[in-house]
Amino acid sequence: MRTEPINRISEKGLRVWRIYGVFQTLIALLVGVGAGVINYFTGDFFWLYIVISLVVLLIAYLLIYLFPKVRWIRWRYEVREQEIELQHGLFVVKRTLVPMVRVQHVDTEQGPILRKYDLASITISTAATNHTIPALITAEADELRERISVLARVAEDDV
Amino acid sequence: MSNERYKLHPISAVIHFVKVLKEMILPLIVVVVVNGFGGSADSGGWSSYITYGIYGVVLVFLLVSGIIKWKRFSYWFEEEELRIEYGLFVKKKRYIPFERIQSLNYTEGIFHRPFGLVKVKVETAGGGPTKEAEAELTAITKEAADQIKKEMIRAKNKQPVEMDNEVEVQEVVKEQKRPVFKMSMKDLFVLASTSGGVGVFFSGLAVFASQFSNVIPYDIIYDEIVVFIRFGALIVALAIFLVLLVAWIVSVVITLINYYDFTIRVEDNEIIITRGLLEKKKITLPLSRIQGVRVVENPLRQLTGYATVIVDSAGGSLAEKDEKIRILPLVKKSKINPVLEQIFMDLHLEPSFTKVPKRSRKFFYRLDFLWIIPIAAAVIYFFYPYGLLSLLLFPLSFLFGIWQHRTAAYAVEGQQLVMRYRIFSKVTVWMEKRRIQSMTERATYFQKKKNVSTIITTIKSGVGGAITTVPHLDKADAEKILNWYEPMKPTKMQIEKEQPLN
Repeated sequence: MRTEPINRISEKGLRVWRIYGVFQTLIALLVGVGAGVINYFTGDFFWLYIVISLVVLLIAYLLIYLFPKVRWIRWRYEVREQEIELQHGLFVVKRTLVPMVRVQHVDTEQGPILRKYDLASITISTAATNHTIPALITAEADELRERISVLARVAEDDV
Repeated sequence: MSNERYKLHPISAVIHFVKVLKEMILPLIVVVVVNGFGGSADSGGWSSYITYGIYGVVLVFLLVSGIIKWKRFSYWFEEEELRIEYGLFVKKKRYIPFERIQSLNYTEGIFHRPFGLVKVKVETAGGGPTKEAEAELTAITKEAADQIKKEMIRAKNKQPVEMDNEVEVQEVVKEQKRPVFKMSMKDLFVLASTSGGVGVFFSGLAVFASQFSNVIPYDIIYDEIVVFIRFGALIVALAIFLVLLVAWIVSVVITLINYYDFTIRVEDNEIIITRGLLEKKKITLPLSRIQGVRVVENPLRQLTGYATVIVDSAGGSLAEKDEKIRILPLVKKSKINPVLEQIFMDLHLEPSFTKVPKRSRKFFYRLDFLWIIPIAAAVIYFFYPYGLLSLLLFPLSFLFGIWQHRTAAYAVEGQQLVMRYRIFSKVTVWMEKRRIQSMTERATYFQKKKNVSTIITTIKSGVGGAITTVPHLDKADAEKILNWYEPMKPTKMQIEKEQPLN
């Protein structure tokens, strides 16, 4: 059995995902309200209001509570001397191995919400693929970027 | 070094002209047709002459610009660079260092052949989506093309920067001019008559139709179709069949012309593919750029023992859209290995495959049932008696799943990973460890419970990546592949070696 990668992403990342969840739920809520209004003018079935509100509540529960939590628990990464290993996924767990020799460049990125929480995402690019670690403390992300770029330069082909 | 400047052959002015004309021809026809139909009704007066006048001016302008382009274009060799100066209004210069040139590709069009000319396309490494630093010499003599090649080889040999280069240079000594593979006429016919060119033709037809869509009087056609249908279904069926037949014949002819005299040679660590009847195409493919080899057997061809061999190559724009180059468009399966052996000397062509475990069989069809159930239910509900036929989808997808299950396998041979899977066609992919950009192991909740997982590898192909997936492997096997892929921990020796570098 291969051991799991050791590092987790920042706990604040969980909070950011919850905020994203709130936004997505708001959209669902808007759709729900729209459906409710249509119902009001056409049939005005009482049970339909209940169904709509239940669906919106379910979406809120999933997007704000459950999914971010599961995703956060799953997300693990490890940067070793010779390779980077990532593990993530909600329903489908993916474990990706990127050898250092294949790394072409590393980027860090920070959107407005991430910046507010002093977080950044880091993207590792090979010649053909991109891999993103979503939410790390900015200082940590910067340090990791430096480290990967140094390791990538030193790494040698073992072929 | 001589700084003599070379010009293209004057015929390139004509080629430029024809090329632009070809791009404009469709809209031009549409405009002319619209004018002919709509314009004649109201006047036929002087206004229509103006439009024709405009075309005349445009044509003259194109011709003149073609000539100016040719006049302005020149290339020369300086400081180990291929330097090009060109530009219609703005003079542009492009310097391409010879050592960065990956390959030179030659094409002979119908305009080139009578004069013994070739079109040379210069391919550089990287290139990327911007396609910077690539050049095209529209028409030069074959001697001039050889000269460029000589200059390039001279420049490259002057400074063998990397270790690998030296090895390559030594290998160059045993040149091999004899063709490794030549497609027989019989195979060519089989290829032409079974290729999927029909679809291409139809999409072409659709494009063509869409160009005319505002000209075609749909309501009139609609009325006619109603009348037409009254003639009976037989005629309709016949018409459809005829259209299909014509489309098929056209696609056969196109394939025959494109793949006529398909030959592969290996020279100087390059694969050279030549093909074509009217337009002779020559594609040069450095072996060092090849990322993976895949053998594709579609079910129909598999029955007759035929297969296609495709290679993935990195960078550049050889095949324009993607870099999957068919090095053996169609070949008897028994003949594949002898050919590949000559091209890729260190390929393990007969690896011992490990199949996916028996317990993973249900994963191959269970998911399909999920989407079949609602579809079948809906079809049965709406088209009651005949809709029941949709139930056949279940045994079909079940059998297909079993087929896919039997195909899926992998093999690890030294530095090579061989993956075999089937979606519709059976695909076997050979990859070297150092060509694999990343590897992912993927497991759903159900897969995890059954202790199986899917392996996904990505190699570079063109400017993007090509993904290969073998689904539902035994977890132990999947981890074996991951461990194989994982770079080895540096031993003490290596660490010491690295020290002076830092």
